Amino acid sequence: MAGGTAEPAEPPESAGMTGTEEVSRLRGTLFEAVTLGATVFGLLMVGVLLLYVVNDAVRPLSADPGWHLVFFLTLVVPSLSVAAYCYTREGPAGEVAYATFGLPVVGLLVGAGIVVVFLEVVSVADWFGLALALVAAAGAIELHRRLRPYAALERLAVLIVAPLVAIFGVPALSVDRTLATPLTGTELFTLSFSTPKLLPGVPELFTSLPVLPLDWLLLVVSLTLPVAFAFGRIVSRRREDDRGRLETVAAAGAVALVGALVAPTVGIDAAHWVVLATTTLLPLGVYLEGVVRERAGLAGLWFPVVVVAGTLVGALVVETVGFAGPDPWLDWGFLTSATSRSPADAGIYPALVGSILMLVVIVVSAFPVGVGAAIYLEEYAPNSGPLGTFVTLVEINIGNLAGVPSVVYGLLGLAIFVRTFDLGNGTVIVGGFTVGLLILPIVIISAQEAIRAVPDSLRQASYGMGATQWQTIRNVVLPRALPGTLTGTILALGRAIGETAPLLMIGAAASVRTPPNGFFSRFSAMPRQIYSWSSEIQPEFRYGVLAAGVVTLLVVLLMMNGTAILIRNKYQRES
Amino acid sequence: MARNVPDDGKPSRNERIDAAEASGETGGLIETSVTTEDSDEHSTPGRTIIESRGVDVFYDDVQALRGVDMEIPENRVTAMIGPSGCGKSTFLRTINRMNDLVDSARVEGELRFGGTNVYDEGVDPVALRRRIGMVFQSPNPFPKSIYDNAAYGLKVQDKTDDIDDRVERALRDAALWDEVQDRLDESGLELSGGQQQRLCIARAIAVDPDVLLMDEPASALDPVATSKVEDLIADLAEEYTVVIVTHNMQQAARISDKTAVFLTGGELVEFGDTNEIFENPEHDRVEDYITGKFG
Ligand SMILES: Nc1ncnc2c1ncn2[C@@H]1O[C@H](COP(=O)(O)OP(=O)(O)OP(=O)(O)O)[C@@H](O)[C@H]1O
Ligand SMILES: [Mg+2]
Repeated sequence: MAGGTAEPAEPPESAGMTGTEEVSRLRGTLFEAVTLGATVFGLLMVGVLLLYVVNDAVRPLSADPGWHLVFFLTLVVPSLSVAAYCYTREGPAGEVAYATFGLPVVGLLVGAGIVVVFLEVVSVADWFGLALALVAAAGAIELHRRLRPYAALERLAVLIVAPLVAIFGVPALSVDRTLATPLTGTELFTLSFSTPKLLPGVPELFTSLPVLPLDWLLLVVSLTLPVAFAFGRIVSRRREDDRGRLETVAAAGAVALVGALVAPTVGIDAAHWVVLATTTLLPLGVYLEGVVRERAGLAGLWFPVVVVAGTLVGALVVETVGFAGPDPWLDWGFLTSATSRSPADAGIYPALVGSILMLVVIVVSAFPVGVGAAIYLEEYAPNSGPLGTFVTLVEINIGNLAGVPSVVYGLLGLAIFVRTFDLGNGTVIVGGFTVGLLILPIVIISAQEAIRAVPDSLRQASYGMGATQWQTIRNVVLPRALPGTLTGTILALGRAIGETAPLLMIGAAASVRTPPNGFFSRFSAMPRQIYSWSSEIQPEFRYGVLAAGVVTLLVVLLMMNGTAILIRNKYQRES
Repeated sequence: MARNVPDDGKPSRNERIDAAEASGETGGLIETSVTTEDSDEHSTPGRTIIESRGVDVFYDDVQALRGVDMEIPENRVTAMIGPSGCGKSTFLRTINRMNDLVDSARVEGELRFGGTNVYDEGVDPVALRRRIGMVFQSPNPFPKSIYDNAAYGLKVQDKTDDIDDRVERALRDAALWDEVQDRLDESGLELSGGQQQRLCIARAIAVDPDVLLMDEPASALDPVATSKVEDLIADLAEEYTVVIVTHNMQQAARISDKTAVFLTGGELVEFGDTNEIFENPEHDRVEDYITGKFG
């Protein structure tokens, strides 16, 4: 800093501070204040906006003051004090409180997502058939690896063909060709025949079985047991024995089975129970086992108990005294029903499902392509010579593409996917591909950055051990770059889920009454739905329903970004 | 220039390069197999295994090595000393073609490993590196468990038979086993710098290479660990050919059979038996460097 030439010999107590030093220090303080001001201003603006929207969506003031008071006393005060105790008194208790409360919440949300996709959109039998096909394909690949370990090229072929055959079977063959001499056009002979379908795919075989097992049973086999097996690894590791895995699988299977038999009697669908138990109870159980085993931070377990008990007691008191609760726009009905003429009945469910399905298409299309491109650009592409210049040019333009307005991508999607490939006007797959293209540059750049951040010394170490380039990329570069890539991708998905302009261009429906029932049906997504609410005539739509939609969108967004942050933190702790 | 003092073996020998039986993706080091005079599989201590003839290395236009001539004997320890930046690491990387990874690097001259010029067309650098292991100047364990670090080479080279035994033997040979046997699951990055370096040594010797190139393996170590590594190198020399770069004159004198002295500009000024180099060097400049008057 100017003038700040402190004599090194001078004692730091600044007993004899010179004039220039004082000025320099003052400047520093001022600068700090200005930066703080800028930060606070930005946060304040966003905060005020959020408060406004949340207030519109939830309408807390429509409740009786007594209602607020009751819940403040039974829920807010006790849980806050427990939380404060956990964080200040006992080290690990805070984390335990946080996790035991957060895990079920996240698990429920994930479970709800799975229920929507696997039960409502794709039928369980379809899903199970697909899973069977993938298992069969994996088996075939593994068998080939055992039998002919050194046939690398052959394995590549098996790797590509096996899943295709398993899923689609061998299609019917139909040939109709006439061979003619090129110049005169004299016909030589005609080859024409067709066969019936040669071999059905595994899913087809499965769904054509005369008796299909019950949905929930299929889910236990294809979802609960594999997930339990994965979580069992954690238990086994923690206990340093091999039985942990078996016990986890057994316990999870038992809970799912018993619950599935009991749940229908209290009005819960057995299949829903299996999914929710797998995503909620299983992780929670595994986590609790660890906490109880290590006996660290047990006090934190009080937090979820207090929250649940407080809610129940509060509800009971409010019920008996007769305080009216708030009448929010954002409630269960809003999340589970379609939009309607009357604001009170309007909901976002079809658009929510549409957004999730679109997200699936985006992930499946943009992530592999983006990561693949990044790997090529960073690891394989030449970086000197004329080709190197070309690669640099490509890289610069990928950066430019990231800044192209989303309307332009919408136009591109319209031209390519709707007009040229004829995938349908406003279908899920077109929306996903279009928005996938939009975030592709971001995915590529973040993956490139993550790959570039892998220290060269690790690559050298791997090559020095006699690894091939592919082995080095697979064993050293990709594992190390994956968390960064995932973080970048999830943040990009956050951007994708809020995009409106491309959806307008490709003709996504303004509002639909039923959720899309596949990737080729028309859909509406949350931002599109919100946009159409903004131009409704009734004011309740423009204030209440719209606010509720915005809050839903923001919550989904926050969850995704939260996941990204979790992944990043875990990664930072590990390395 | 360099005086080549042939040891008890012939200066070079033709050796059959048997196909590295490693994973199917690489064949042998080269396609053509050179016939051999003595077809014994076993190594012959003292024979030249690596022979450098007029090797020049350039980074873009900067020349890092100038006409290096050297014969490295089999199952002996050869030390390389010289001031910083004189090209010692560059020479090591030239031997197992790690310079291929540096875009700007260009190698001229001949570098023979067991009779084959490793820069010949048809030589697969991957197969070469499977026979010439390397320990780098600064410890660079993978962000994987200690076990996976030690087993990495075995896995990529598909030598997965009794992999646990091999890992244990390598860790024992690297004088690390006692310290890590209870924590093989922990990350290799959680070890101290010296332990990391020994892990890197274990990783390199686990795959049983013919030659081990070590770039200042003791620079990050305290005296106790250093002496452990020196003992280790002495042991290794019974089975492997060791080429070691060091800045420590006493170390070079203690552990090596042959010494190569590089001086600034990338010249190999003197190469010969360690005793002779340290007791009566031919060049004044080498004497000055060894006695610490310059460098
Ligand atoms: N990747 C590179 N690109 C360009 N120049 C390089 C590269 N690596 C080394 N050099 C140059 O080559 C010369 C020799 O470097 P080298 O690393 O071989 O020295 P060294 O003898 O190992 O030194 P030290 O004892 O400090 O490790 C130096 O002048 C260095 O600047
Ligand atoms: Mg060096």
